[in-house]
Parts: sequence; C-alpha cells; structure tokens
Amino acid sequence: MSRRGPRAIGCFLRGLQLSLSKPYLAVALWLIQLMLAAALILPISNTLHALLDKSPAGEKMVANPDYGWWETVRRVHPDVLGNFPELATGLLSSEGIHWSELPGMRGVGATAFSLALLAAVLHAFALGGALGVLREPSSSLVTFGREGMRRMPAFLVFTFASLGAAFAAYEWIYVESGEALRSRVKDLHTEQAALAVTGLRLAALVVALAVIKLLADSVRTVWVARPDLPPVSRFLFGIGGAIARPLRLFGILGLYAILTAGLYVVWLVLDPSAGGEARFALVPLILTQQVFVFVRLLIKIGYYAGISEALTRAPEPEYSYVPGDPPSARAASAPAVANEAPLERT
Amino acid sequence: MSAAKVRVFALALLAAASAGRARAQPFPAPVASYQITCRLDAEKKTIEGTEVLTWKNTTSRPAATLQLHLYLNAFRNTLSTFWRESSGEHRDGVLPDSWGSIEIARMTGPDGTDLLAAMRFVAPDDGNPYDRTVAEVILPKPVQPGETISVAMDFVSLLPRVSVRTGYKDDFFMVVQWFPKIGVFEEKGWNCHQFHAATEFFSDFGNYDVSIDVPARYKGKVGATGQRVDERETSAGRVLYRFRQQGVHDFAWTADPSYLVLVDAFREAGLGDVQLSLYLQPEHASQAERYFRAAKASLSGYGRVLGAYPYATLSIVDPPWGAHGAGGMEYPTLITGGTAWSAPKSIQRPEGVTVHEAGHQFFYGLLASNEFEEAWLDEGFNTYMTDRVMNATYGANRVDLGVFGLHIALGIDIHFPVDTNRRYFEVADWDVLASEGWKFRNRRSYGSHIYSKTALTMATLERLLGTPAMDKALRLYAERWRFRHPTTKDFIAAVNDSTGGDWSWFFDRTFFSSGTVDYAVAEAQSKPAKPPRGLFEKDGKLTAGPPPQLAKARGYDSAVTVVRGGDVAMPVDVLLRFEGGRTYRSHWDGEARWKKFRVVSGPRLLEATVDPDEKILLDTDRTNNGARTEPDPRAATRWTARAVFWVQNMIDFMTVAW
Repeated sequence: MSRRGPRAIGCFLRGLQLSLSKPYLAVALWLIQLMLAAALILPISNTLHALLDKSPAGEKMVANPDYGWWETVRRVHPDVLGNFPELATGLLSSEGIHWSELPGMRGVGATAFSLALLAAVLHAFALGGALGVLREPSSSLVTFGREGMRRMPAFLVFTFASLGAAFAAYEWIYVESGEALRSRVKDLHTEQAALAVTGLRLAALVVALAVIKLLADSVRTVWVARPDLPPVSRFLFGIGGAIARPLRLFGILGLYAILTAGLYVVWLVLDPSAGGEARFALVPLILTQQVFVFVRLLIKIGYYAGISEALTRAPEPEYSYVPGDPPSARAASAPAVANEAPLERT
Repeated sequence: MSAAKVRVFALALLAAASAGRARAQPFPAPVASYQITCRLDAEKKTIEGTEVLTWKNTTSRPAATLQLHLYLNAFRNTLSTFWRESSGEHRDGVLPDSWGSIEIARMTGPDGTDLLAAMRFVAPDDGNPYDRTVAEVILPKPVQPGETISVAMDFVSLLPRVSVRTGYKDDFFMVVQWFPKIGVFEEKGWNCHQFHAATEFFSDFGNYDVSIDVPARYKGKVGATGQRVDERETSAGRVLYRFRQQGVHDFAWTADPSYLVLVDAFREAGLGDVQLSLYLQPEHASQAERYFRAAKASLSGYGRVLGAYPYATLSIVDPPWGAHGAGGMEYPTLITGGTAWSAPKSIQRPEGVTVHEAGHQFFYGLLASNEFEEAWLDEGFNTYMTDRVMNATYGANRVDLGVFGLHIALGIDIHFPVDTNRRYFEVADWDVLASEGWKFRNRRSYGSHIYSKTALTMATLERLLGTPAMDKALRLYAERWRFRHPTTKDFIAAVNDSTGGDWSWFFDRTFFSSGTVDYAVAEAQSKPAKPPRGLFEKDGKLTAGPPPQLAKARGYDSAVTVVRGGDVAMPVDVLLRFEGGRTYRSHWDGEARWKKFRVVSGPRLLEATVDPDEKILLDTDRTNNGARTEPDPRAATRWTARAVFWVQNMIDFMTVAW
C-alpha cells in the first residue's frame, strides 16, 4: 500500500484555478504594488517632465532610449537617480554587492530602500490576507483585509526573518564565495570555467533562496490552516511540512518560476513599449503593461494556493477495494472541502 | 588535413608570398639597435639574455653617461614608484604578490671595459631612492655627437604573473619591457623616465635582431615583433626562433602552447600587403574573423589618412583568461587584443580593442611621440581615429550589460565618438590635458583626459575644420614626422600650415586648459504680438493710439537667450525653428556670457537650439542645448509609464524571494 499525495502540477493547476476564482486577490496585490511604484517614480517623473517637456530631445526620446541623454541626466542631476544604476549593475555582476554599501545609497536608490521595507510590511499583510481568503470557501476583499490584519504580527516576523535569511544567503553564499575564489578564478584556464564557477555560486544562492522561501511559505500556510495548534507547533508543523514534501514544493515553485519566466519572454519578444511615436499609443501601452502585471499576480496567487494545496490537502488512501460509504457518511462528506484540513472559523 | 587546416595553410602560403614581395620601405637610420639572444626558463619564469646595444649620439652635445630603462624593476617590491602610484591596483584589478625584476650581470664597453661598476640607479621624476627602473652608467669617455657606441650586457629578467602588460600566466608568456633599454638622448640631456602607473614608453628607432630559445612545447607558438627569419630545433631539445625588424623602437614577444595560430593577409591598393598573424586562445576560436576584420579595417582606415603601414607583418595576440592585464597593448608590429567568450558582435569586442591597438602602429609606432610627457599625442589621437574607423566600419555600438560575467547587448545604441568618451565629462575640470602622465590627479583623470578629452577635442576640430581639411592636416603631420618624435607644437604647426589659419586659440582652450564648455538655451518664448500703445506722431502732433498701419498686431514676438555656462568659449550656431517650417540660423562667436535673439511680429517660434549640428563635442551637457516654446509631455509620460511598470516588476521580484 502506498500513500501518495497530490502531484506538484496538480497542486499548481488547482492553485491557478483558485486564483482565477478569486481575482480580487490579484487586484489587491496589483494595487499595493502600483501605489509603491508610484511613490518611487513620482520624483523621477517630475524631473523627467521638467527636463524633457520643453526640450527638443524629447522628440527622439518618445520611442527610443537615448544613451547620451540618460547618461548626462545621471551625471548632471545626481540627486535623481543617485547611485542606483551602479548598485543595479553591481547586483548583476559576478562579484555582487556588499550590503554595507546600502547606507551609501542616494537619490532614488535610497527611496527604493525605504520603500522596500514598507513593501516587506505590506507583503506580510497581503500574504496573510491571501492565504486566509484561499482557505475560505466564500470570501471577499473584506476577508482579505481582516485575515491580513489578523495574521500581521506573526507574518511580519516570518517575512523579516526570511528577508534576513535571504540577505544573509546572498552575502555568505554569493558575495563571500566570490571574494574567496577571486584569485583562484583568475587562475582558471578558461573564461568558460570561470563562468561555470559563477554559475555554481549563483545556483547555490538560488537553491538557498528557494529553500528559505519554501520554508517561510510552508510555515505561513500551516499557520493559517492549523489554528487549532499552539504557535510553536504550527511553526514546527510548517517546517516539517516543507521537509516532508520537498519535491512537491520545489515542483510547484519551479512551475511558478517557469510560467512567470515564460510570461516575461513573451513580453520581451512582443516588446509593446518599443516604437511608440504617437500620443494615443500611450494609453494602450499602459493598459497592456498593467494587464501583464495583473496576469503575473494571478500566477503568483496561484503559486500560494498551490503551496496551500500541497501542504494541507490529505492524501487519498489506496485500498485493494473501495468500500461504499454508508448513507450517513455520504451526507457528511458533501461539502466541497472534504479533503482539506479543518477550516478556521472566526 | 581538415578543411580548416588547409585554409590556414593556404593563407600562410599567401601571406608568406605577400610578405616576401619586396617592400622598398625607407626605414630610418638606426639610433638605438639591439642584438639579443635569450633563453626562456618556463618553470622559473625567467629570461636569461645577452644584449649588444648599438647607440648613436644624434645630438650636438657629447653624452658623458648612458641612461637605461629597467622597466621590470617596477615590479620588484612595493616601494617602487609604480607601486606607490598605483596603490596596488592596475589594469587587472588588485596587483598580485608576484614580483618581477631585471638584473644586469655584466656590462662592458666597446673595448671590453667594465661599465657595471659605474652604474647607479637614478629617479629623475620623483627622486624615489627605492625605484630601480632607471640606471645611469658613467662612461669612461663621452660619446661625441655623431659617434656610435656598443655596449654588451648579460641580464636576467624575472617575470611577474601578468597584471600590468608583462608576465606569465601558467604557460602563457607576454614578454614585454623585458630587456635593458636605452633612453632618448636629447639636446637638453637624457629623456629617460621612471616606470609610472599611468604612463607608457618612449624610445628611439633602430634595428632589432632577437633570438629566442624556448622549450620544445612552444614550437610554432611563438610570436614577436618583426619577421621570423629562423625556426629550428636545438640539440638541447628546445626550439630557437630568430626575429628581425628594421625601423622600430621596441621589441615584444609571446609564447603559449595553447595558441591557435591563424594567418591572413591585408591587401589594399596603395597601402601594401601585410601578413596578419593571430595568436588566438582556443575558447575564442569563433572570433578569429572578427579579429582579422578589425585589423584590416584599422590598417585601411588609418592608412588612407596617415599613409601606408610600412612593415610586412602585424601580429595580434589574444591573451588567455586571467591575463587581461596583458591585453589591449601596442608594440611595434605586435599588438594584444581583448575579448570575452560571450561577447556578442553588437558590443564590438574584440573589434574596438583591435582597431585601437593596430592604430597605435601609426600613433606611437610611426609617430613616436613621448608617451611619458605627451601621452595625448598617441593615446588621444589614436582614440579619435579609432572612433572614426569603428563608426565607418561597424556603426553604432550597443550598451554592454554584464550579467554574472556574461556580456549581453542591450538594445541601446552607443554612438562614436561622444558616447564612447563620456567618461571625460565626469572629470572635465580636474586636470589640464597637456600634463605629464604621472602628474594627473589619478589614473581615472589621466585616462579620461588623455584618451577621451583628446578624442573629443580632435572630433570637435574636425567638425570645425571639415573632414577633408582635418585629414589634410593629419596627413601633413604624419608625413613630416614619420619615424620621428613629434610634439604637440608640431601638430599645431601642421594644422596651421595645412589650413592656412591660426588655430592656436583652439588648442589653448582645449589641450592647455582645464576649462569646460557648456552652451545652453536658457529661455525660449513666443507670444502673440500686441498692438503698440502710447503716444504717436500724427501730422506733426502727438496723439494717443497708433496710426492705422501699426494698429493691428501681426504674428508673434519671440525671444531666445543663449548662455555660455562653461569657462571655455567656442564658436557656435544658433538655430530657431518657426511654425510653417521656417528656420533662422545665426552664428555666434560664443565669447560673451550670453546672447539674446529677438524676432518681432514673426511666425510662432517652436524651438531654439544652440550648436544644432553638434559640432562642439566637448559640451559637457547637451541636454540643455535646446528649448521648445510649447511643452510636449509625450516622452516624459512614456518613460514614466515604463518606469512604473519595471518598478512594479522589481517589487514583485523582490517579494518573491521571501
């Protein structure tokens, strides 16, 4: 006799189905992200209007990026972009950046750092709300807000703990390994070998981040699904749940990553923001962008629902024969959530 | 034999045939010639050599001493002037603790007199008592004007791990600045500078005859300055190479058992035939054609302006991974390139490096200016020409985004020469360009001025003169000073003589100034004209209200104010564009701090632009060079939309991780 739980793809598809059935979750996340982005972009937007609206350079900047113009703005107005471009470039380099460089951020970079902290708080709220809503057979935005606020203290702890763990992983797995191997990498025979070393460092970081994420998501999911347990037990159950189903959880995360990456590939190939000359093209462009963001968030909610599905759905027992249910049991199993863990009712 | 080998063999034959054709090149009379026999110990990383230096005093004064460059001693310890100036960082990042040195074991004069006892180290630039890069030998009797002296030396060179041009990495050897080399004796005395962190080299023309003894595994994998005249196996199980070249001022060589050695030929009417040898790393095999195409483009592009490349060979060395410090350098008839395994064609690596280094065969090789004292004459002029050749051959470059060591071309164009020299604008007022190489604020300022400011200055001059006049000036300069040591005033004289004008003002404000150029349109407005008011003469009396012919307002009154924000003035055009397609162009000498343009009762002004043809490439801020009278928010709105979108994505990506 074997006891097999639902497969990763099944969980993920069911998660997507749940996400589509509750689109207001994606709408809520979309609004949060849009507000954060708007707060960051407003000063840049004002500067762009001040510099471009009355400049003949604006004509050619409508459709195409002008390297010289951007470079000049970066140099002449260091208060706008600050050292954000350098930090972004450093983040993509094979050396990486030390977190000790963050206090030196200026301009939009410093604002981005502050907003990232606010984003972490909102993220904790949104996840509490989303996971709570996903457990409710009938729910609404009210449920989202209520559940989000209810879970906030614990979810803030989880979010900042995983955030710290992610930073530590980046520093210790990627940056420090790069420093330790720097001279050895130069001694390698080929650039391809050096790239392979960077690839391995990066892969180790990605695996570590995936583990951190899955552990955190597992704890969050169990926290919502098992309110009948004391907090420590919920936490340990969450960790245990992730350890007990690593392939399934990694599978769901992998499917989520692949689907999201595919979405980006489609976006980059179609490149709807390129070549727009006429003023009227702006509205369709913005709509297309926001539809893209919305679809991506639907997939994201689908991932969380998939994780919830994988961790809280009891496996179906396999028998050599299937006994018929007694009439009383059939009536008791009528609700659609029969295979799920007990729901928390407030 | 594979098809590739057949091709290489055929090309080798073709190239050998072309190189064998008589090249009646008028090489100069030698001043400093070298006959060197050396032996590479690949394990100890040493070169033991015997050198016979033949030097002629071409000045009008006797030389009581000889001064010799011992460049490898720059890597002797951290007290050398090079180490102090570089603070332990150079081309390839942090310098490794791998030391190099050069020791002279024997030095004798023409009659066998021991000169070594009379040798001492001097530091003419900074007085550093620990620097061993310049040695002075007191001669038993002075070398009289027109007289020639021969000096024989035994020396041992210890190569460092490659970090600054010279050295080894595993079995790869880049052997440059490796033998005792005489300075340049001028009317004012010896010009023999120490090895500095920022500067390069300066020496006299001569003939080189160099025999190189290497282990057998290097057979067929040795490249050097000049033509190979011998390759044979010795009884010691080693291989002996001999290279000769007339009319050069340095000698470099390389060896690496991993090299793929490929041969091609450059042939163009009026520019002669040149054998191109490429010493390529196997992992860059797919980039061979890119190297060759760039080298040919360079020989062609420079040759058409400056005259033909006079030598029969040009060798291109592709350094291995971890030896980038050897890359991007020039030596007579031998250059080192630089590329990356993942470099896409659109980011023009190795093209840019190859065109530039091959171009140094002209600015440095033939026009052998003093790289210590007037580095802009080779690096800067060469950067200017590199930009021209790259633009003509390949067009715009693309932004190179490094992603975890991979090179990815973004869809953003980088235009020659302004975008490729933007680093100058970051440090525009830090230094006077015409400064000795080791006297710049730091290496960043040195590079930004010597390479980029010079290139932008030359490109600005080209736009002010016109390309034909610029080419004529360059040609005159090149013809006058081929195989000689030109200075800045020689170039200015060539410009003045070829154009018939006096362009000293231009060079005073660019080469000899740290001032910056910045023109801007401070104000541009256009308002409907109003009818005049007040008292007007009518029938000899003052009456209220204008006469009928003035009573009706017509068109627009426009005003434009152009300002000079920088210290340096340049002549500029100002272009006003009006509704209906009408334009008005005015020339301004640019001397005053501002100039106002008014158009009364004209068509509505749409925009005003200063320097509309973008002639003044030294302008540090072009974003303020124009102004519209009516705002157009399209560009800013679109970029805001894009920015919001990508920030939304970044937020999502960040929150995915936790």
